[in-house]
This record gives sequence, structure tokens and C-alpha cells, in this order.
Amino acid sequence: MSSVDVKARKNAMRVLKERFKTIIEQIQRGEKPTLIMPKRVLSNTIYDEKSKMLLLGPDVLKRSFIDVNEARKFMQTLLMASIIYEALVNNEYPTIRDLFYRGKHSISYRDVDGKLIHENTWDEQKESDSVIRDLEVFMNVLREEMLILSKEKGKVVGNLVIKSGDDVIDLSKMGHGAYSIEPTPDLLEFRDVDAEYVLVVEKDAVFQQLHRYGFWRKYKAILVTSAGQPDRATRRFVRRLNEELKLPVYVLTDSDPYGFYIYSVFKIGSITLSYESERLATPNARFIGVSMTDVFGDGVFQKILNNVRELGGFTKSALGRLKKKKPYLSESERKNYVIKAKQRDIERAVELVGYDVAEKCIESSEVRSKLKKKEGLTGYPWFRTPEWIRELCIFFNTLNKLEIEAMASKGLKFLADTYIPEKIEGNDWID
Amino acid sequence: MSSETAEKYKAISPAEFFYKYKEIAGFANPARALYQTVRELVENALDATDSHGILPDIKIVIQRADPVQEFYRVTVEDNGIGIPPDIVPNAFGRVLFSSKYVLKQTRGMYGLGVKMAVLYGQMTTGRPIEVITSKREYRRIYFFKIRIDINKNEPIVLERGSWRKQRDWHGTIVSLTIEGDWGKAKARIKEYVNRTAIVTPYANIVMYTPDNEVVFYKRVIDVMPRPPREVKPHPYGVDLEMLKMIMESSKQPTILEALVENFQSVGEVTARDLLTRAGIDPSISPSSLKEDDLLKLVNVMKTYSQYKPPSSSAISPLGTEVIKAGLNRMFEPEFVEAVTRRPSTYEGHPFIVEAGIAYGGKVPLSEPDKPTTLRYANKIPLLYDEGSDVITSVVKEDIAWENYLVSFPAPIVLLVHVCSTKVPFKGVGKESIADVPEVRREIKLAISEVARRLRGYLTAKQKEFEAQRKVVHLAKYIPEIARSIEVIFSGDGLDREILVKKIVEIISAKTGIPESKINEVLKNVEIGA
Repeated sequence: MSSVDVKARKNAMRVLKERFKTIIEQIQRGEKPTLIMPKRVLSNTIYDEKSKMLLLGPDVLKRSFIDVNEARKFMQTLLMASIIYEALVNNEYPTIRDLFYRGKHSISYRDVDGKLIHENTWDEQKESDSVIRDLEVFMNVLREEMLILSKEKGKVVGNLVIKSGDDVIDLSKMGHGAYSIEPTPDLLEFRDVDAEYVLVVEKDAVFQQLHRYGFWRKYKAILVTSAGQPDRATRRFVRRLNEELKLPVYVLTDSDPYGFYIYSVFKIGSITLSYESERLATPNARFIGVSMTDVFGDGVFQKILNNVRELGGFTKSALGRLKKKKPYLSESERKNYVIKAKQRDIERAVELVGYDVAEKCIESSEVRSKLKKKEGLTGYPWFRTPEWIRELCIFFNTLNKLEIEAMASKGLKFLADTYIPEKIEGNDWID
Repeated sequence: MSSETAEKYKAISPAEFFYKYKEIAGFANPARALYQTVRELVENALDATDSHGILPDIKIVIQRADPVQEFYRVTVEDNGIGIPPDIVPNAFGRVLFSSKYVLKQTRGMYGLGVKMAVLYGQMTTGRPIEVITSKREYRRIYFFKIRIDINKNEPIVLERGSWRKQRDWHGTIVSLTIEGDWGKAKARIKEYVNRTAIVTPYANIVMYTPDNEVVFYKRVIDVMPRPPREVKPHPYGVDLEMLKMIMESSKQPTILEALVENFQSVGEVTARDLLTRAGIDPSISPSSLKEDDLLKLVNVMKTYSQYKPPSSSAISPLGTEVIKAGLNRMFEPEFVEAVTRRPSTYEGHPFIVEAGIAYGGKVPLSEPDKPTTLRYANKIPLLYDEGSDVITSVVKEDIAWENYLVSFPAPIVLLVHVCSTKVPFKGVGKESIADVPEVRREIKLAISEVARRLRGYLTAKQKEFEAQRKVVHLAKYIPEIARSIEVIFSGDGLDREILVKKIVEIISAKTGIPESKINEVLKNVEIGA
């Protein structure tokens, strides 16, 4: 076992004992045993303008054992803590599924009417997963730091030498393959780096194409893919690249609301797991594309602007000051590559930027009426910027989307040698 | 059956009377007649005992009296006050035998009902009534066989005899042989005796049936309802016919004295006032009053507003103790309560409403929309016409049972007793009480009061149940929590037993649940693999 691993274990065990010592002390003092932790609910999720991250708010949850409604959760929290502790002691690397099985057993008791009842400590993994998240916020330690593993999903290549465990790995010598970002990226050590920026690609296929093309070597980039929705390890890894190696991070996704959201998860954090943002989010991450303006230019948007006074809380003139944009695709290319947006995409876009923008930008009254149910949505604050309003307004107006693969279809060379470098050099990204 | 003794003086031919009224009197067919005969005899037996402060011992024997024909001999024995031998022939053998005009709550009209039975028996089987009786102070026991001379309306004593008392016995044994139908009347008779027993927990009641079955209700309480006293009528409740009879039979020389003497709440001042208002000379003889004067007087008496309210001493409520004991004896409920309302009046008649509630235990499940309701009027169970009874209306319309935490069907029995010198029966069947606003209001208040107490009980029970559930739902997790803590802090000198003990103490201190209860639950908790 590597020394960093041992160190991580020791640290996790120490924190766990320290935090749960409070319970023993409460019991010894004759007080009701109570776990106090930040509330992990949407209403206590705050977008922090200053750090530009989704964070947990100030609300705390007091989970008391004496409270009948909380007793089961209280038991589960302690049970999970004990299993994790045992795994740490025994040098194991459980997955969250392992933890579910290890902790699942029955408690039998006699009910008020004397009936013998067998109750499971937890019935489905959803329950035990939730307890793990509680423990993370209670202890202020991420699961990775407790050596809890998850499936590896993210990959990386580039001029970067790391030490993982006791092995030193050169990420520029991976052949056609790539290094799988381990579930415990905090145990990695950056040894040597020769790169100018990090390019995070949403799509695994595009990552492979760029890799084989030699993109990262040519442009001194560290190439990362999240293969879809980023997992925690990939996010943490990207964050460390940015924070510790001071490398700018560019995110390349599909040109659709889902792609935009994936970018925002890297940058801001996820809404459901806001407690991890502080460690996982990369507030400096930039959205390089593919943007709607890359596909359509800004002509469409200018036309819409002529008919409104304001949009998404910004005046016409404020929005008019946005940098002019020319499309990367010709009229005929556009015709070939764009895909019609689905209702799901449109609804997602409303969630991101708010109903008011959709209402003003969508031309078809039929589409608008289908969105009536989303009327109450006001959008996420980090998408209510002039740049994103323009992007999503064009989406609403054209009701088209574009996958990165389409850019590659125009020619891998175009994507690698023209599109990406041009956008980076020209500062043509959204922050 | 009947509530008031408005005994009349005019004798009509008993045969005529019988044929005219046999449906009303309950002798329409053999089954009904058997049931009615048992009722008349049992009610008389109870009136002869508890109304005179004697704890009743009642024995009912119903036997087949003929191998071929459906003849039954019904014998009812009581330990009551007995009947003087010189009265016996008229008491059983002359229809509408009566004495003076007073009001008193009784079960049956001592006389009328049983004479109907005698007539019925005589007409269907030809057999006479047999009576054995003795009063406490007598040394002898008297024996009679009597028929009624239908044309003359006179008793015919077929046999008479007496013998020396060998033991200290008093009471009356009456035997009647009638045509009946036990098969059809069986359920009804048993229900009647059962319902009667519910309100007479101070009585030993035993019944021998033609099926050789013995039904026995053992006395469980020595307390009896206060016996009713005889009172004079209140002027509010008077009608023309009644006033006429009172005046005709009055022995007082003047109308003024007659009013004072024959009515309650009427003194000389009030009497003068009434007569002045009616424009009648106080000094004239009561028997000289003309129809016009009587009518004027009745109207004045009914509208006069200065009387004291009618006396309630003529009515005899069961009392809460008796109701509770009765419900306990029959249902062994987990909760029982009863209430006796204060006397009230309608149309010049005093009345009292009582209610009892039994819940849980052996109480059978009710119907899906209301509690099982036991209705009584003057201690007599009302078995029929439930749907048209004001008690049923109150139970269904005026009481929001869900407010009292009762959701049907529930193991709940509701007993309602209306007693009065004149129960406002609906129709001639006298099986249901009419919707009189004053009575309805009292019924509602009585039921509400017992229902409120039931709610109190159910709330407390619910609370206790919740507390117990809370104990279970906390205690079941203690071993798992202690185990988990032990895992994390193993080697820190932490003892699991002590930890469990401490947690139990904390739960007990914070919730008020005794430690013993928590430990009891803990005994059965096991952590599985």
C-alpha cells in the first residue's frame, strides 16, 4: 500500500473518530445524542456570487436520536460510519454498493401489539447512498478521502507526470489509450508538467479523435474527457490541475442545453451535490464551445433584440455591447449538421436561463404554449449573463442543436487546428 | 310498554275491548302474543320489586303445555311485595280495574296488559290464570285460579286456597297458558330479556326455555334506582277529558279546593288566579262545571305561566351506577361511562334522559354508520321501529362521531333511556319516541356528554399507544447504535453494556418513558446478520 494511501486512511479515521466523539460525549453527559450537520437540501443550496460556486447554505440539520422521525436515520448514520471505519482499518476500498451490502441486515423487534417485525437497516442503495452524503457533510470529508471507490469514468492524456500510489506515470506515454482518472484523485501527486492549458471534452469519441490526431502534443494541452456527465473524480482532478498547476481550463461540449449544463457542473458544482463544490468545482473553467453563435453567428440575436426593450433583466444596449460573432459554419454546413431540438432540450434550456427569455425568443406560439408549465422558472443565476442569454436565445429561436462530432465531421483538422486554437487565442469563450 | 297510569273509570265490555285493541296491545298472532305475555309478566314482576326497594329475583319459565297443539305455559315468579288476596280476583280478572287518579312512572299498567294476556289465554286455550302470592307480613300463601266472565267483565274464581308459609317467602307467581309460537318468538323474547337485564344489573334473572335452555343473568350490584313516587298531575299536562274526570270524581266541596287538592304546583293563590282568569266562581261545586267552563279552565291552565315546574319525583331514572354496572355485566368493556341529565319538562310532563356508552372489550362491532344503540323508555327496552325513533335521529344527525374519535364500525354500544310520567311515544306501537324538541335536545346533550368522556378516554389511549410506539421505535435501534459506536471506538475502553444503559437513561429522562419499559422492548431486539 502506498504511503499516501496510508496517510489518507489515518486522516479519515482521525476525523471520523473526532466527529463521532461528540456523540459519546453527549451520551456521557446525559444529553440526547444529536448529529449536527449542514442541511443538504435544495432550499439550502446557495449560488455564491463571490466564489462563483454552488455551496451549502447556513442551515443546519439536528438529527437527534430521541426524535422518532430521525431515529432511523441516526442509526443508519452511525452504522455507515462504523462500516466505513472498519474498511479504513482493514485497508479496504469499498464502493458505495459494497457499503450498501455490508450494512444491510435486519433488526428484529416486537411491535406494540407484540408482533415480531424484521426491519432492514436500509432497503435500497438510495438510502445508504444518502447516508454516505450525510456523512460527507457531517465530517466535511469527501468519500474519496475515505477511500470509497466509484467506477472510473474520466480519462486524461498529456505532458503530465503523476505519481499514483507508489508508481510514477507519464501521461504522455499512454499509446492510443489514456489514463483513467482514479476515484481518489487527491492521492495523486503532480510531478512534472509541460502544458499550457487543459481541454475538457464532454464526448469520449471526440477525445479519442483529438488524442490520435496528436492534438495535445501539438498544442501543449492536457486533454481530459468526462465521457458525459462528469463524475466526482474527474471534476476534482480538473480542479487540481487548475488550482495547483495554474493551468487555464477550457470545456468543450455539445451545443445544446445539456452540454451547457455539463460545463456548469465543472464550473459551479451540481445542484444535488452542492456540498462538494468547494472541493470539486473549478470556478475558472471557461466554456470554449460549441456555442450557438459558433453555429449561427449573432445575426439572429440582433434581429430579436430589435423587437425587445430588455431580455433576461438586461437592457437592449447592454446586450448590444456583446462582441460580434461570425459563424464557423456555412449556411449549407449548418443545414447538414444541426439537429432539431427535442421538447426535453427546450425545457432544460428554460430551466437554465428562465422562462422570460424563452418567451421572448421563441417564435412558434405552439412551442411557447407547450412550455406554459415551466412559467415559474426564473433560471439559474450563473446562466443569467448577457453571453448565456444570447446563446440560449439563439437556441430558443432556432430550436436547433449541434453535437461536437459535427464539428469533427467538417474535418478533424478543422476542429483541432482551426476551431479550438482560434477560439483560445481569440479569447472567444464564455467565462 | 306503557308509561303512564291514566286509568279510566268507564268500563267497556272486555271482549269488545280485546277485539278492538288486540293488535295495539300486541296480541295480533301467536308469536307476538307469546312475546307480549312474557313482557307483561316480567314488567309487572319488576314493578313489584325494584319500585318497592326489593332487589329482584325473577324466574321465567316457558314450557310446552300440550303435545299436539302449540300451547305454552308461561310462568313468571318474583320476590316482590305480593298482592292482597282480596284484590287478586279483580287485579287479574276485571278489565280496567282502577282506583284513584295519580301519576307515577311504571313499566306496565299494572292490570291492563296482563288482563289482555289472561283474555288471550282464555280464548285460545280455555285455561285459567293461576296466581300464587303472599306479602311479607302474611303467614299464609294464597292460591287462585281465575277466569274472566267476558260478558259481565267480572272475575270468576275457579279455585282458591291457602297454606301456611314454611319459609320466609313473599312475591307473586303467575302462570298463563296461551297459544304461542316459540320458534318464531324465540329470538325476540331472548333479546327482550337480554335488553331488560342490561338495565337491571341489580336483578337475578333466570329464564328456562322450551328448548331446555337456561339463560341466567346474575346480580352484580346492590344499588337500585330510586323508586318513583306518586304525584298529582301538573296543570300544564292537563287535557279536557282528564280535567272532566278529575272534577267529576272530586270529593272537595268547591272548585277552588278541588284544584288545590288534585294538582301539583297549585296553591290557593294560584287556584284563585286561574279561576278568575277563566271567569269561574271559586265557590261552586266541581261537579257542577259545564263543558264550556271546563274548556275555558283547561285553556287558562295550559297557558298560565306562573307555576313552579312539574315535580320530577314521580320519575325514576336508572342512575349512572346502574347503567355502568349493566353495561359492564353484559359487555365487559374497556371503557364505560354513563350520565343522568337533570330533569326537564315538555308540555308539562317532567322527563329525564340518561345515556351510557360502552367501548371495546366484548362489545360487538357496530354498523358502519352508527353505534349499536340500545333504546329504553321507562326502563323498558324498545326493540322495534328504530329508524323512526328520535334517538336514532340524534345519533345519526346531531352527533358528529368523528369529533369524538369514533370511526365506524367500532366496538361501541350506546344506551339511551328516556323516562317520564308520559313518554312521548310515536304511534300506538309504543316502540319509538317522537321527535319532541325538548326531548331531542336532552338526548343530544346526554349523548354528547358520554361521547366527550369517551373521547377523553380514546385520546388518552391513543397517547399511551403513541408513547409505547415511540419506545419501540427508539429502543429497537439502541443495540445497533451501541454496536456501531463500539466499532469506531474499540480499544478506547468503551463498554457496550454501559453505553446501552446510558442511552436508555437519556431516552427515559427526555421522554418520561420509564426505563423498565425501554428495557422490556430491548429484550426482544436482535441484530440480524
